[in-house]
Amino acid sequence: MDCFPELTYAILADGELAGEEAHQVRNHLAACSRCRELVETLRAENRILEEVLRELPQEAGKWAGLPWLRRSWVWGDLAIVAAMLALGAAVSQWFDQQRVPEMLQWLNPFSSAGGMNLIFNLSYYFGHGGAAVLTHYADIAGWVSLLGLLGSSALLLGRRWRRSRSGLCLLTVLLALSLPSIALERRHSEFVTVAANETVDDSLVAAGNTVRIEGVVNGDLLAFGRTVEVSGTVKGDLLSWAQRTEVHGTVEGHIYTFSQSLDVGGQVGHGIYAWVQSLRVDDKGHVGDGIVAGAADVGLEGDVMRSVTVFAGSVDVSGNIGRDLTMTGGDLTLANSARVGGNLTARVRRQKEVHIADRATIGGKRDIQVRVTKTRFAQPKFYFFQAVWLLAAMLVGWLGLVFFPGFFQGTTQAVGAGWRSVGLGFAVLVGAPVAMIVGVATLVGIPVSLMLLALYLVAIYLAKVWVGAFLGKVLLKRATATTRDWLLGLLVGLLIITVAGFIPFVGGLMRFGVVCLGLGAFAWQLYHASRPAATT
Amino acid sequence: MEELELESVLELARGHDADALAELYRRYARRVFGLCRYLLGSTETAEDATSEVFLKLQRSIDSYDGSVPFPSWLLRVASNHCIDALRRKQREWQVIGEAEADAALLEVAGPGPSPLSEVISAELQAAIRQAIARLPENYRVPLVLRYYSDLSYDEIAQRLGLKRDHVAVLLFRAKRELRRVARGRE
Repeated sequence: MDCFPELTYAILADGELAGEEAHQVRNHLAACSRCRELVETLRAENRILEEVLRELPQEAGKWAGLPWLRRSWVWGDLAIVAAMLALGAAVSQWFDQQRVPEMLQWLNPFSSAGGMNLIFNLSYYFGHGGAAVLTHYADIAGWVSLLGLLGSSALLLGRRWRRSRSGLCLLTVLLALSLPSIALERRHSEFVTVAANETVDDSLVAAGNTVRIEGVVNGDLLAFGRTVEVSGTVKGDLLSWAQRTEVHGTVEGHIYTFSQSLDVGGQVGHGIYAWVQSLRVDDKGHVGDGIVAGAADVGLEGDVMRSVTVFAGSVDVSGNIGRDLTMTGGDLTLANSARVGGNLTARVRRQKEVHIADRATIGGKRDIQVRVTKTRFAQPKFYFFQAVWLLAAMLVGWLGLVFFPGFFQGTTQAVGAGWRSVGLGFAVLVGAPVAMIVGVATLVGIPVSLMLLALYLVAIYLAKVWVGAFLGKVLLKRATATTRDWLLGLLVGLLIITVAGFIPFVGGLMRFGVVCLGLGAFAWQLYHASRPAATT
Repeated sequence: MEELELESVLELARGHDADALAELYRRYARRVFGLCRYLLGSTETAEDATSEVFLKLQRSIDSYDGSVPFPSWLLRVASNHCIDALRRKQREWQVIGEAEADAALLEVAGPGPSPLSEVISAELQAAIRQAIARLPENYRVPLVLRYYSDLSYDEIAQRLGLKRDHVAVLLFRAKRELRRVARGRE
């Protein structure tokens, strides 16, 4: 008699075979030792499965509480968030009461002006060329981290996509080949000094407590230190990140600096881009191009051949400015000896903070505006636009739910992971732009980067939709997931997010949290959706 | 309450005694959570589901007639709850239906992968557990219902809306998949 299929024996081992078939199988087993053995093994296998399953997953250990006493994780997380918000509110309240000196107001990120300045300055700073040099140097750091990233990705991906390993190798080789040739001299010690009789032919990267250039650097100088002093000559650009940067010699290129103070008492061939607390061009200082700076104090006693654009707490001018002077900030003083070749444009808080000496010369127009801030809550159009944005978000949510129901609901659910989502979201928020820049730098990655950018922006927008829907779901306590409930939840959630977003200080923090949370949930869901579908 | 016989606790619980319900929770929450965790695949949803099962229990305990042991009955209730939850997730159970046609293709016992019991060892148990968690839903759910909740083929078929024969096939394949994983770990 022929042996039965293994499936039949499996059913028998489960005790689920009945009737005539069971009878036949038993008869066969009596005669066939090989099949008997198989059935025994299958039974043992079942016992092992039961045993394995009886060992509960690790998380089960904590299940000793009472359901009606156990606070749901939602409430736990909400409690933490509430505590953090309260703490944040207290801190910002305290911060606000500290009466930040008027001069530092632009640095106070909690004041709306400070926040705006921060964003605006940075974009302006980078827009005016700071980015060019930064990316130049970031290349080096970028490539090093890229290689590290590639190595680890290769390990990870290699495990996941064994078959695509050759493609990955090709990509690695391509990327490695496109590495820029790096010609740099690096020095690192407590005191880095280029002596008066010394010439460095390459660009120099110097890090130390004190970086002193008395000789000549033929390329750029990239300096990190407590004090960076240039009394010799830098033929290229000077890029410094230091507590104190002093230039008494010559920098033939630009100066890009992020320092506590920048003192220029020598020659700068081109412009200065500075993000500093105090910027001073003394009477011996000469800047061949313009200055763009964010600073608490700006003192211009020397010559600046072109325009000066500053965002500063206070600006004192007693030297020459070849073209326009544009300032936004606290107070402005032009001494008798001051000369502005072009227009003077100032945006200040109070008229009385502008002091222009009688004999100061202004070649062009004089435009001084006092910023009047009117609360937006008093303007009807504010409410109109809020309503429009809310409806727009609802529409997006509805469309998403119609076209991608599983994904949208899944993402909404993933928001509930709380800290996991926040952490992941923050990583994506920061990591994605880095990945895009790296992608663009490789040239072959430009299309990918652009697509990533589009996805990134879409996801940032959708973050509030998912978080809103989740919030609404929690508050409305709807376990079912009909489209109507989801949308109602979304409306409630979005309303809360929108209103809470206008709470002073905390609102911004909360909006940031929402973006992180939503992005994290999105990334998580994307990861899950991309996993191979179940096979049958 | 802790030292009381299950019968007495159940009796009290039927009268909606909060302490008795709490005691049932204390005794069985881990087991229910384990089931939910295996069936639903994520800790968060399993936690929610466990809470919901016990909240439902306050109402549904009246319907427990003692014909099956209470733990089995409770696991059945929890299984139903999880299956409902999975359905709500709009996972397509039709996928299972589609596979039915090729059930006949299964081969006669031969030199296929050796059964799980031959290759499993103590240190592999954790790996197997992990592999179960990673099984596709249509394999995992019947497997867990059979070997955790101890449901019969008919009960599984009825709950999942499948034919009995197909439940057998799914279980068979699930185990074959686990064997494959276990062999891979050797």
